[in-house]
Amino acid sequence: MAKTNRKVLLQALKIIFLLLVCIVFILPIYFTLSVSISSKARINEGAIVPDFYPGHWLEITKGYWKSGIINSVVVSLACMVIALALSITAAYAFVRFRFMADKHLFFWFLTNRMAPPVVFSIPYLMIWKGMGIWDTYQGLILAYMVFEIPITIWILASFIASIPREIDEAALIDGYGFSGLFFKFILPLIKPAIGVAMFFAWLFAWTDMFFASVLTSVVAKTLPAQLLTALGKVGWGVEYGPAAAAGFVTLIPGIALLYWVRRYIVKGFTFGRL
Amino acid sequence: MASRKLLLGLLLPATLVTAFVGLTPMFALLNYAVQTPFEIQTSFVGLNHFRHLFHDYRFTDAVLRSVIFAAIALAIEIPLGLGLAYLLRKPGIINSVITALIALPTLFPPVTIGMMWLLMARRNGPLGMMMNFILGGSFDPFKNATHAWGTIILMDVWHWTGLTFLVSLAAISGMDESYIISARTEGATRWQIFKYAEFPQLVFPLTFISLLRLIDALKIFDEVYILTGGGPGLSTEFITQYIRTVGLEQWVIGYASAMSLVFLFIVILLSWLMLMVLTGGRGLIE
Repeated sequence: MAKTNRKVLLQALKIIFLLLVCIVFILPIYFTLSVSISSKARINEGAIVPDFYPGHWLEITKGYWKSGIINSVVVSLACMVIALALSITAAYAFVRFRFMADKHLFFWFLTNRMAPPVVFSIPYLMIWKGMGIWDTYQGLILAYMVFEIPITIWILASFIASIPREIDEAALIDGYGFSGLFFKFILPLIKPAIGVAMFFAWLFAWTDMFFASVLTSVVAKTLPAQLLTALGKVGWGVEYGPAAAAGFVTLIPGIALLYWVRRYIVKGFTFGRL
Repeated sequence: MASRKLLLGLLLPATLVTAFVGLTPMFALLNYAVQTPFEIQTSFVGLNHFRHLFHDYRFTDAVLRSVIFAAIALAIEIPLGLGLAYLLRKPGIINSVITALIALPTLFPPVTIGMMWLLMARRNGPLGMMMNFILGGSFDPFKNATHAWGTIILMDVWHWTGLTFLVSLAAISGMDESYIISARTEGATRWQIFKYAEFPQLVFPLTFISLLRLIDALKIFDEVYILTGGGPGLSTEFITQYIRTVGLEQWVIGYASAMSLVFLFIVILLSWLMLMVLTGGRGLIE
């Protein structure tokens, strides 16, 4: 009897704990949305319940907020495509070829991913200004490559490694050239990996603020950097409303993605995080 | 010979681009770190910047703060992630919804997360109201260092527990059941099963995720910069912010470069350790 009581109690505790976890994880997202649709007076009162004021969302469709959104979309999509194109062949080479210092080269690629952005930012600023690519799309995209190429190579290489070598050999014996082998056999087999790699390449450029705040100022300024500028005006009366709306825009892709991949969540997510 | 050319063609584009964006800054940093560049009087100073680091209390304090922050974050996020993974390991619609919810913040831009918790921690935000209710109105993360640290830790737990949780979940579902079944038939208690049959199988993924989180925690910048700006005073100024302040706000490029190199060295050492753990010392590719 005592044992079943204990079990019921444990079960109840578990449910309460999980409920608490859900509330803690939802609350900041809900509150940001709520602030973004509350008038200034309501925000000052707390904005736990919004008064459905549309002004902040209208404001971010104009001026520097709008260009921030456009720049973010352009830069992150371009990064995704370029990083994938550059790294897919390299990933194949790392898995299928043995060459001098291959492991060291691979490790060097990955150390770039682990390096802190602040370390790169000072030389980038100086060099980019010297090269005349400061505050341009191409400059920002080039800087992001330092993190994105390693991530995509790492993801793709670990998938290609799981393809049996016999497939390559069979294709070559059947008279396919290298490009035939690559496009007709390898690429279709690693489709899921390409999806994961593209996603993480895109995510990095979409979420980065550090490079964007150092390497751009007006023309190519992305949304996260714009957010920093808006929130940096401490003491000048920060406009929380538009910032919350713009901030919520940066969350939307993550939320949408999670809905699509809900079935593969564990596999897909743990991968690209190195 | 043909395959040599092919190999070169496959590797070269990625290598050239990465070499340009990865190596040029390193040479530039080495070059800046032994000089006083971009200042009125540019001169060669040898290793003076590096010597100065050990006497710069703001630098050593910032490093210490980063390490303490990383230690606290790990001490909470790893057990919490593992615990949640145990609670939510059975498949089912409710469990997968909660899983998705916990994973969600790992996809958000750090700068936005800083803003979200800034909104939360204001006097009129839900966190601020709740803490004021508990502490009797004295909660102020913008004036009280302890409150600022508490908020930052809470924010980081919110941001990254999803990752430790997902890695734990993957590790748990990949466990070899036979040990657990035989332990159970021998009459082991739940705790004994965990300690002797399950935990040894989880050590490896947990070490990996700990090192990854450690490196990421040392690199934290955006969230803290938005939330506290390093304040009150310097109480939440981490190493990244100090480098940024010296290099990109005060324009003392030489000294900032020396700090960057030291910081980079620490991070690369940790990454190497992580990869060795990840691959059992074999190196990444066979």
